[in-house]
Amino acid sequence: MSALTIEFAGSRYRFNGLNPEQADLVRSRFQALLCRDDAEPDVQIDIHFDPNSSAFMQRPAGPVEYPVAVVHSEESIAVAGIGFRANIDRSPLRAQMQTCRSDEWFGGAFENVFRIIACYRLFGQGALVMHSAAFTDGERGFLFCGRSGAGKTTLCGLADELDLDILSDELNAIMPSIGSFELLAMPFAGDFGGEPRPHPPYPLTGLLGLSQAPEPLLSPCSKAEAVSRIVASCPYVNSDPTLVDALTARAAGLVEQQPVRILSFARDTRFWRVLDHEYRRPIPAVSS
Amino acid sequence: MSTEDQSQRYRLDPHARFRVMDDEGVFVLQEAGEVLVVNGVGAFIVEQLKAERSVDEVVTAITDRYAVDAERARADAQSLLDALLEAGAISQT
Repeated sequence: MSALTIEFAGSRYRFNGLNPEQADLVRSRFQALLCRDDAEPDVQIDIHFDPNSSAFMQRPAGPVEYPVAVVHSEESIAVAGIGFRANIDRSPLRAQMQTCRSDEWFGGAFENVFRIIACYRLFGQGALVMHSAAFTDGERGFLFCGRSGAGKTTLCGLADELDLDILSDELNAIMPSIGSFELLAMPFAGDFGGEPRPHPPYPLTGLLGLSQAPEPLLSPCSKAEAVSRIVASCPYVNSDPTLVDALTARAAGLVEQQPVRILSFARDTRFWRVLDHEYRRPIPAVSS
Repeated sequence: MSTEDQSQRYRLDPHARFRVMDDEGVFVLQEAGEVLVVNGVGAFIVEQLKAERSVDEVVTAITDRYAVDAERARADAQSLLDALLEAGAISQT
């Protein structure tokens, strides 16, 4: 059995008890984010392999997209999916995962559990983790929140054509930072894919919702709608009865400082001219 | 579902959270992971429900505050209440 430690967004997650096949799967996916195992972890996750597959949700005969079951209690969060179940202790944040899989289904189970743990860890650190697309031009960070079908992956594809650096088309985090906010990449991707790699934090320049239209356009968004879009985009935490009040308050605090706008865009790269102009860099003062 | 009884009272569902932002209101429906936005009049109506006012009392409060007749106020309030019931944001007491 081996342990692997993955680091991103300022936190280290150590996964203990991986068998050789499981460790290879994790290494192949998160290679660029692995850190030395003697580094002190912030969260520990214990993996227990149980070959008795009848004790777990069964793998279907054909391809399937299924929701992971999540049940909240005061002390912990229970998670179950095909071939695995997990229990996440809230405080201190720590998890135990049981699984009967060491094949590609383990990779999916691992990411499902890791994603939830990371959302709780970052929320505990003061962040908002959102279903979102995010990219940067190297200096400015843009985040577009929205659920499936909002156009996040399409936008990432278009941004990629413009050589903008895609952080993720699925999950990204916003962290407060001395009077402003930072955009943090998370190593989970949707259809746009790509290997996770380390990213520095970027200043959050634009916080936007998405809609589709024939012409690119930025429009305002009321604070109430902004809060609703943000809260609706925060997975796991927004259905957790012990955290939903804190989440709503945090979203309200964010929109007081960082206005949300709606980007209407077509399936072409013209949106970037609108964004680039609206969120242009400040012109340095010229002294005579 | 329809709010036929005008003395009926409603309360926020125990799993719903409501917050006023500027002139609008936001419902967070924690069990469903859903969020609703209501406009200024809607937010005012929800605040009346939170104060345990009946539908009749809500209608009076609307006509006192907004330039609208009772018939229109009742229809608008009923429409909103039906929608909020349907969404699981409120329930009958």
